[in-house]
Amino acid sequence: MSAVLQNLVNQPYKHGFVTEIESDIAPKGLNEDIIRLISTKKNEPAWLLDFRLKAYEQWLKMEEPKWPNVKYPKIDFQAISYYSAPKPKKKLNSMDEVDPELLRTFEKLGVPMHERAALAGVAVDVIFDSVSVATTYKQKLAEVGIIFCSISEAVQMYPELVKQYLGTVVPVGDNYYAALNSAVFTDGTFCFIPKGVKCPMDLSTYFRINTEESGQFERTLIIGEEGSSVSYLEGCTAPKFDTNQLHAAVVELVALDNADIKYSTVQNWYAGDENGLGGIYNFVTKRGLAKGVNSRISWTQVETGSAITWKYPSCILQGENSVGEFYSVAVTNHYQQADTGTKMIHIGKNTRSTIVSKGISAGHSNNSYRGLVRIAPTAAGARNYSQCDSMLIGDKCGAHTFPYIQVRNQQAKVEHEASTSKIGEDQLFYFAQRGIGNEEAVSMIINGFCKDVFQQLPMEFAVEATKLLEFKLEGSVG
Amino acid sequence: MSMVTSSSYLESLLQGQPQLPPSPLAWFNQLRASAVDRAGTLKLPTTRDEDWRFTDISPLAKLSFQPARAVSTLQAADVEGFYLDEAAIRLVFVDGAYMPQFSTQPDKARDLGLTVTDLSSTAVSSHGTVIEPHLGRHAGFQDNLFAALNTAFLHDGALVVAPRNAAVDAPVHVLFIATQPEVASHPRCLLIAESGSAVTIVEDYVTLQEGAYVTNAVTEIVLEGNAQVNHVRIQRDSPQAFHIGHCAVSLAHASRYRSVSVALGARISRYDLNARLAAEGAECAIDGLALISGRQLADTHTCIDHAQPNGISRQLHKCIVDGAAHAVFNGKIMVRSGAQCTDSTQSSRNLLLSAKARVDTKPQLEIFADDVKCAHGATVGQLDIEELFYLKSRGLSEIAARNLLTYAFGAEIIDRIPVASLKQRLERTVFEQTKRS
Repeated sequence: MSAVLQNLVNQPYKHGFVTEIESDIAPKGLNEDIIRLISTKKNEPAWLLDFRLKAYEQWLKMEEPKWPNVKYPKIDFQAISYYSAPKPKKKLNSMDEVDPELLRTFEKLGVPMHERAALAGVAVDVIFDSVSVATTYKQKLAEVGIIFCSISEAVQMYPELVKQYLGTVVPVGDNYYAALNSAVFTDGTFCFIPKGVKCPMDLSTYFRINTEESGQFERTLIIGEEGSSVSYLEGCTAPKFDTNQLHAAVVELVALDNADIKYSTVQNWYAGDENGLGGIYNFVTKRGLAKGVNSRISWTQVETGSAITWKYPSCILQGENSVGEFYSVAVTNHYQQADTGTKMIHIGKNTRSTIVSKGISAGHSNNSYRGLVRIAPTAAGARNYSQCDSMLIGDKCGAHTFPYIQVRNQQAKVEHEASTSKIGEDQLFYFAQRGIGNEEAVSMIINGFCKDVFQQLPMEFAVEATKLLEFKLEGSVG
Repeated sequence: MSMVTSSSYLESLLQGQPQLPPSPLAWFNQLRASAVDRAGTLKLPTTRDEDWRFTDISPLAKLSFQPARAVSTLQAADVEGFYLDEAAIRLVFVDGAYMPQFSTQPDKARDLGLTVTDLSSTAVSSHGTVIEPHLGRHAGFQDNLFAALNTAFLHDGALVVAPRNAAVDAPVHVLFIATQPEVASHPRCLLIAESGSAVTIVEDYVTLQEGAYVTNAVTEIVLEGNAQVNHVRIQRDSPQAFHIGHCAVSLAHASRYRSVSVALGARISRYDLNARLAAEGAECAIDGLALISGRQLADTHTCIDHAQPNGISRQLHKCIVDGAAHAVFNGKIMVRSGAQCTDSTQSSRNLLLSAKARVDTKPQLEIFADDVKCAHGATVGQLDIEELFYLKSRGLSEIAARNLLTYAFGAEIIDRIPVASLKQRLERTVFEQTKRS
């Protein structure tokens, strides 16, 4: 740490260390001054700083959760640098300069040509005019009044909207990592769909203008006003290499009367090598509030990456007749660990929820489904159906199911079923008989196993997800 | 619960323990002493403990319970109503103390080829080598305060040994009667089914009073190779009572364990059943029914541990919840690495009869082997409107139709009890209870 910075950091806030900092990386460690530094750097209004400080204060009092079925060495939160201005990535001049290993992966996944270039970090204008593509998108969205920008931009441009909704679904002290995120988040996505607007296209971070490295503490806020609808895609099937080991994102969705929000994720972050070294810790809090009557929130996720995945995209079904959905495929291989599932909190009358979860474990990995279905005394006529299936490939891996079902209303109907199976010799034999080799047969069986979830994905994603699974499990089936 | 109450409270729980007469067997005394030590270091679980998340036993700590006093006034006529016609052998305990005058003579068991006796009697000394490897070895008390307390108070208790290849149809009836309010009793059973034997045991908890008391029971059941055990457990404690039960079952090669447990009584009841399929080809069927109303809480935690290949387990647990009662079920199925070809199904079905009734259920699978067939399911619901309509269209009144359906829901479990007179008695209880609501 430079002496200048040290001095600056130790200064009291009021006398502005604001302007003069040359370095774009904050010193390691977390304290109030760092939070003030982040806030000042981003030129944030006072209420947001208060929000961050309140979160920090709560975080200090909290303990790291011990209940997830995952194991990892203790994280040193003081060894992380919580602010670094986005650095421009080194631009490559043509596809020839891209790592052939990465190209091979793209080939296998069937990623479209233009996306490959962007993902590999090739200066996009060399290959195709993505800026113009993005501009067209932006125009289209602006025409119908949709706001789609980075959250820092939204804080500057639409502070009232952000202030009204930020932290309403995931309160600052919700859990350890959400509190940490609330204190130090640096960027993320903001999306606002005004009354009665059906978003004309699937929104994706990929097409967001000025996409910056969102960093390890990403914050997403999506608001659907009365009668609006939107489908949002997060992540992509291409492997994402990242130097930050800990990722603690927060995603908040708010659906007002008759609004419909669909959130799809494909996560393929670096999972560590086959011996379990390295890989990303993905500790995410995702929650949707179906606030209005007849509102609907739908989560679809395909989780294949990260050394540890720890996330429970949830729905709070507050509005009458609101609907929550959760479709998930989680694949773990080698030494990956996944503890994922959902929470469906039924509060409003006649609320309905569906949970379909498919877990596939291979290698030495552990895959847990942990879900909660809670029917509050007010949720008369609530209905839930859950199905969690696991598949084990090999005898060194583990599959776990922890469904919590809490019912406080007599008129509710809750059903849960789970099964565990393997790919049967007889099934493989059947395929072999018809001239289909083992690898292909396994991939078809797994595809069938995950069909219910893949059907929920937008088309291009579904195709890529299928291939992604094939790729992930390559070589794990005898 | 605060720390302040727990230490002094625990002292009060161990009150009377030092007065227990020492056993002639050194290991027996040793076991008791280590349980006392262990109990001293453990705390009363709170709802912050995952295993007790939905069951708040803090009301237990608010009452002071004394060790039971010896009773002398009880007449045979007072307890005869609890006897089972089919039972050839009966062991009766009153407030935890063995009552030879109400129990059948050991000779009768011997004639049938069984050893059935009280744990404190001299007979135990002669069976020392048989029971030493088992008593206190299956129901571990390292992390379980209640098991530690029970073991600390180890004195009277039921011992049933079915020797090699002995097959006895008539059930052994172990009857625990509570007669005094504000006492704590620690019933204990040990059943050893030697290889090839077949035996039926009925563990029956009843009361002659309506007061508050604590029953803290521990049962250990050992099945050697090819043994078969039918285990029926009925809990009919007083509506003010606290019932904590713990049962540990160990299954050897190709043995078969069937259990039906029924919880009707107690203000707060908790039953932990751990079955370990410790050798290949073991099989167990574990069924349960909780029928509760008012402000009762019935909590059942089971763990079926498939440690070896080719095991089979079946489980059906049902709860009928009325009034402002609260039913909790946590069923864990563990399939350890190497336990290939395990076949396991589990089902938790819950019927809510009133607006204030509450159910928390968690069927749980933990699987570390790939060639297995495991499935579980859970449902929570009310009586089916169509089924009600069907019955009403055939002339049944709304109430009669409801009662019939509720009764049928519970009867599926009671039907699995292999003792006819007990089955009838329970069916009547269920019918009366549903009629009342």
